[in-house]
Amino acid sequence: MSGGSSPALERSSSCRHMSETKAVTQPGDSISVQGISYTVREHVGPWWNLSLYYKKWTRQILKDVSFHIESGQIMGILGNSGSGKTTLLDAISGRLGQKDNFFGEVYVNGHQLKKEQFRDCVSYVPQSDTLLSFLTIQESLTYTALLTLQKCSNDLIKKKVDAVMAELSLSHIADKIIGSRIFAGISGGEKRRVSIAAQLLQDPKVMLLDEPTTGLDSLTANQIVSLLSELAHRGRIVIITIHQPRSELFRLFDKIAIMSFGEMVFCGNPMEMITFFSDCGYSCPEQSNPFDFYVDLTSVDTRSKERELETYSRVQVIGSAYKNSEIFSEVLATIETTKCMKELPPIPFKNKDSPSTFYKLWILLRRITKNLSRDKMGITMRLFQNLLFGLFVAFFLLRLRNDLLKGAVQDRVGLVYQCVSAPPYTGMLNAVALFPPLRAISDQESKDGLYKKWQMLLAYIVHFLPFSVISVAIFSTFIYWTVGLYPDASRFGIFFAVILASHIIGELLTLVVLGVVQNPQIVQSGVVLLNSAGVIVGTGLVRTIEEMSPPFKILSYISSQRYSSEVLIVNEFHGLSFTCGGANSSMSINPMCIFSHGTEFIEKHFPGALSRFHINFLILYAFVPGLAIIAILSFKIREIIISR
Amino acid sequence: MKEATENTSLEGAGWSQAACKDLPTKAQDTIFCSEEDNSLYFTYSGKSNVLEVKELNYQVNVASQIPWYENLMQMKMPWTWKSDPHSYVSIIQNLNLKVQSGQMLAIIGSTAGGKTSLLDVITCRDQGGKIKSGQIMINNKPSTPQLVKKCIAHVRQDDRLLPQLTVRETLLFVAKLRLPKYFSDSQRKKRVEDVIAELRLCQCANTRVGNEYLRGISGGERRRVSMGVQLLWNPGILILDEPTSGLDSFTAHNLVITLSRLARGNRLVLLSLHQPRSDIFQLFDLVLLMTSGVTVYSGTARDMVQYFTELGYPCPRFSNPADFYVDLTSIDKQTAEKEMESRKRANTLANLFLEKVKDFDDFLWKATEKDDVSTTFSKQRSLVNSEEAINMPYSSSDQLPGVFKQFSILLSRQVSNDFRDLSMLLIHGFEALFMSLLIGFLYYGHEKTRLSIRDTTALLYMIGALIPFTVILDVIAKCHSERAMLYNDLEDGMYSVSPYFFAKVLGELPEHCAFVIIYGFPIYWLANLVPKPEHFLLNFLSVWLAVYSARTMALWVAALLPTLQLSAFFGNVLFTSFYLSGGFVISLENLWTVPFWLSKISFLRWNFQSMVQIQFNDITYDMTIGNTTFQIPGKLVIQSLHLDSHPLYTSYLVLVAIVCSFLLLYYLSLRFIKQKSHEDW
Repeated sequence: MSGGSSPALERSSSCRHMSETKAVTQPGDSISVQGISYTVREHVGPWWNLSLYYKKWTRQILKDVSFHIESGQIMGILGNSGSGKTTLLDAISGRLGQKDNFFGEVYVNGHQLKKEQFRDCVSYVPQSDTLLSFLTIQESLTYTALLTLQKCSNDLIKKKVDAVMAELSLSHIADKIIGSRIFAGISGGEKRRVSIAAQLLQDPKVMLLDEPTTGLDSLTANQIVSLLSELAHRGRIVIITIHQPRSELFRLFDKIAIMSFGEMVFCGNPMEMITFFSDCGYSCPEQSNPFDFYVDLTSVDTRSKERELETYSRVQVIGSAYKNSEIFSEVLATIETTKCMKELPPIPFKNKDSPSTFYKLWILLRRITKNLSRDKMGITMRLFQNLLFGLFVAFFLLRLRNDLLKGAVQDRVGLVYQCVSAPPYTGMLNAVALFPPLRAISDQESKDGLYKKWQMLLAYIVHFLPFSVISVAIFSTFIYWTVGLYPDASRFGIFFAVILASHIIGELLTLVVLGVVQNPQIVQSGVVLLNSAGVIVGTGLVRTIEEMSPPFKILSYISSQRYSSEVLIVNEFHGLSFTCGGANSSMSINPMCIFSHGTEFIEKHFPGALSRFHINFLILYAFVPGLAIIAILSFKIREIIISR
Repeated sequence: MKEATENTSLEGAGWSQAACKDLPTKAQDTIFCSEEDNSLYFTYSGKSNVLEVKELNYQVNVASQIPWYENLMQMKMPWTWKSDPHSYVSIIQNLNLKVQSGQMLAIIGSTAGGKTSLLDVITCRDQGGKIKSGQIMINNKPSTPQLVKKCIAHVRQDDRLLPQLTVRETLLFVAKLRLPKYFSDSQRKKRVEDVIAELRLCQCANTRVGNEYLRGISGGERRRVSMGVQLLWNPGILILDEPTSGLDSFTAHNLVITLSRLARGNRLVLLSLHQPRSDIFQLFDLVLLMTSGVTVYSGTARDMVQYFTELGYPCPRFSNPADFYVDLTSIDKQTAEKEMESRKRANTLANLFLEKVKDFDDFLWKATEKDDVSTTFSKQRSLVNSEEAINMPYSSSDQLPGVFKQFSILLSRQVSNDFRDLSMLLIHGFEALFMSLLIGFLYYGHEKTRLSIRDTTALLYMIGALIPFTVILDVIAKCHSERAMLYNDLEDGMYSVSPYFFAKVLGELPEHCAFVIIYGFPIYWLANLVPKPEHFLLNFLSVWLAVYSARTMALWVAALLPTLQLSAFFGNVLFTSFYLSGGFVISLENLWTVPFWLSKISFLRWNFQSMVQIQFNDITYDMTIGNTTFQIPGKLVIQSLHLDSHPLYTSYLVLVAIVCSFLLLYYLSLRFIKQKSHEDW
């Protein structure tokens, strides 16, 4: 390939010249990636196949990738699935784990970055949009702005949000609700633009986007990419991975890179691309999409051995042609000059002055509450699920009696049993239904460094407390006076407090598990199992605790149901007197009438419970902060797991 | 380049068999030289078919499209649902098309263009819509569901296959169900092998199909298996809805090559696609471009560029004509002005097209009027067929296998699918064992230190009440995962409800028995219950029946309600009512009328009653209070629980009756409620 004769190459060299002169006068930002390689070690077989599982093999995901990009440019990384596009993006954004398998350098303006600096310099828009579905676009962006830019006054934040919305042409739908799968809101393309806008709030100079067009129809995909190229031309660096781009996009990219099996087979501007491949002997037919054509050309067909060898060798030929081309050697030269520049331009950090922890918690709390306040279904569920259960029990029980022959003890014990086991269950249902979307958002935003995962958790715990109080108040007022438990106001107060604690404990326990287990379905069945095991072992209602074997006895001390049931039993039975049959029948005749007072029942089945009443109550309430702390720890563990 | 050669060959001699035969020799040059052999293994040799759509106008009532439970979810009350009678939206306007055997017509257009609705109307599966005017003719007869069932195979957008079966087994089961009676077993096998060869599935014929959780064959292969399922009965018309969505470019390309080969085998292939890649576009012969219900172009693929160039919209260099023209005609809803503008453009183009084709009887635009493309195409093809086709006896009006045959095939299909799902079996087994050991050790004791009365009754109730809950949730989840396949199979007329019902019920039995044995044995002998074999057997039988009632109830609930969540909720409600009226939590005597009658059908109560009677009937308890010792006969315990109303055998009879009535309800739900799945919701 002779450089002088090709007009495209002339153009690129003149560009280079310009950028060099610019670098002296007014330095533009640049990213240089030099020779990065990345390998992972994987188990050969699945875990049940032990002999294969212990063997590991090394898979090369990135192989000696180098490129250079400057502000004002948009680069598209193409390639089939599994070609290493996303890993390359992760490498540029400093999100790759296992540093020991990672070789090569990423320079921003000639500086090598530290891990935290990556986060503060590069914006990353992931493939899926994680947004709260009940907020409007404006609210959603305003809360994000509040979380990142504290120093600004409210006016300034409003201006900033308006400006970003105008830039992404979202202004006309600013007050539309985002929506979710169940109810319609804004369209997929608009959601994608909101995600991009959320990143733009921090004025990043470098934006990376993973598959921004996937799942969108072609027209919208086009609009997104042309929008991104406009953003780039306003002095930013934009790098996107893209899967099957449309031919219209061909001209929008300043640089196109093609990845195949971890290698960068080509990287250059569109005109260079056509000439390069023509020179290799593969000219693109007139009426076909050059992207498709070149990607197919450089992909490996693994369906049969012969085809694999054949296609792989073709990729090798093209790859080495690129490595020997002038385009590539110019890239290397540019990287060297950038590194060796006398005065390196400063690293272009994002705008960021994070607010204090309390302020962040306050913003998060407002955001969650606002989101829930529009969720009719969620509010109904939170407030009336307990009542629904209460109605159910009351429907069957109607009213408690005092006659032993008519099941006075049996019904009361049954009611206590229900009141101990059901509120944690409803708490679990609430958490499983409402928390996972928030968890997804906190996973996302904590990667951007907006806040920590446990801060979101704490805000969530604070926001559900008032709902729990109201919900349990409705439930206990209804059930207590309808079925006729011990008619005394202070006893009612204790009943309410115990139910409230169990309800909150159920929700907190679910949050603990949600921290380390991803799938809500599994969490649900796991917590149900824990709950019923706690009821059976701890309450002493279905199995007398004294007669259990020692391990179970010890276990019963860590189940919260032990304390709630003892308090409720004492609360109800203490001071209660029973009748036996008609007024004239004597007690000694019927062996069922062994108790005449509730206190005897307590002494028989829960010896010492009367004296432990206050202690039990305190221990029950100690579970609440205890579980909250464990939940926070569990989310810290989650942070560690995810960052790996 | 293959594209290049194809382009030139298309320009010259049309698409001839010769051009295709050239491909293997140029293998080293091509990008897609996937199919080493281009021979036709399996052709359609019945009389040729014609599908015709005339002046079709189709409207859909948008409000009635939303299912009732979604309305409830959004807190809309039933009386507000049908408030808007004017919400009919026109989906298809004035559409004409005519396709014959040997042709492949691709319907392209942006999303919401009416493509899927059109395919639904053709296959008589329209929901909530009505045909305002026009008609659909298959071989000059108006289409009816019966006719559609007989000659159209519809491959849906999503693959509904049993995950544990291999490709060959999947096809073999369908061959047994779908092919007429007179086929011998070896003929059926032969047919399956032919289809496997035709769809190039040989490499994965013995691999499990798999699904999103279970690793199996690849996505493209799964699509081809779905096609194979329909191809087995050798239909003359093949309709595919978005066959390439979700596939990568290689696989998509090969799939369309397969389809065009099927069309060459004298079939009529109709497919919808929303954005074909340029290389795929070049494989089509006929194209129908739709946007928001109107036809903008219909004719051969290679003439499309020419047509639009004549109208003043040339396709730019290096761009995919399909993309370009789909964009040109799609409605841009970003802003109101843009929407107006694009809608106007689409309507103008549609009117122009109507003008141009009004003189042709097959509604296709042709570059030059003399060249009657479609007839030359089909002539070529029939020529090809007579040379290459391996003739298959054509059979349309033959009888499918009888009910008993269907039953035995379905049974073996279900059993082989269930028993390979080792992880699920292990999880269920572990669940049962864990529960059993937990309760068993919790109540562990010896002969001398007997359990107190209170603990014994609690234990007996726990035995009956704990495990059905997990069974109900598991069964409901499993049934819902199978529902979509069941719906499709029933709609396709592959089998009828009764054989499925019996196969399902019988197929569940082995797993159920194993489950109850794992659960029932340890618990009885660990916990301190009367250690006599006859007591144990009676107890075991009672538990067996109670858990089976729970299972049948779950089957019924899963078939009754449309979504997994609703089914799970309703199952939960039923179970809780049976639980509360079971006689343990609340004294039976205190129940007022409604729950009292509920307790009569509560399987938990009858199970509890029989177990209590078995345990307490001939035991006396000593109880000491202060200085006096009471002798409490076991009968008194039964009496105080009010469980002495009926003799022991009634409990068993009632349990059997409960099982039977749930089974009857299940059958009725299968029969009368459409098993449409709403998993995606």
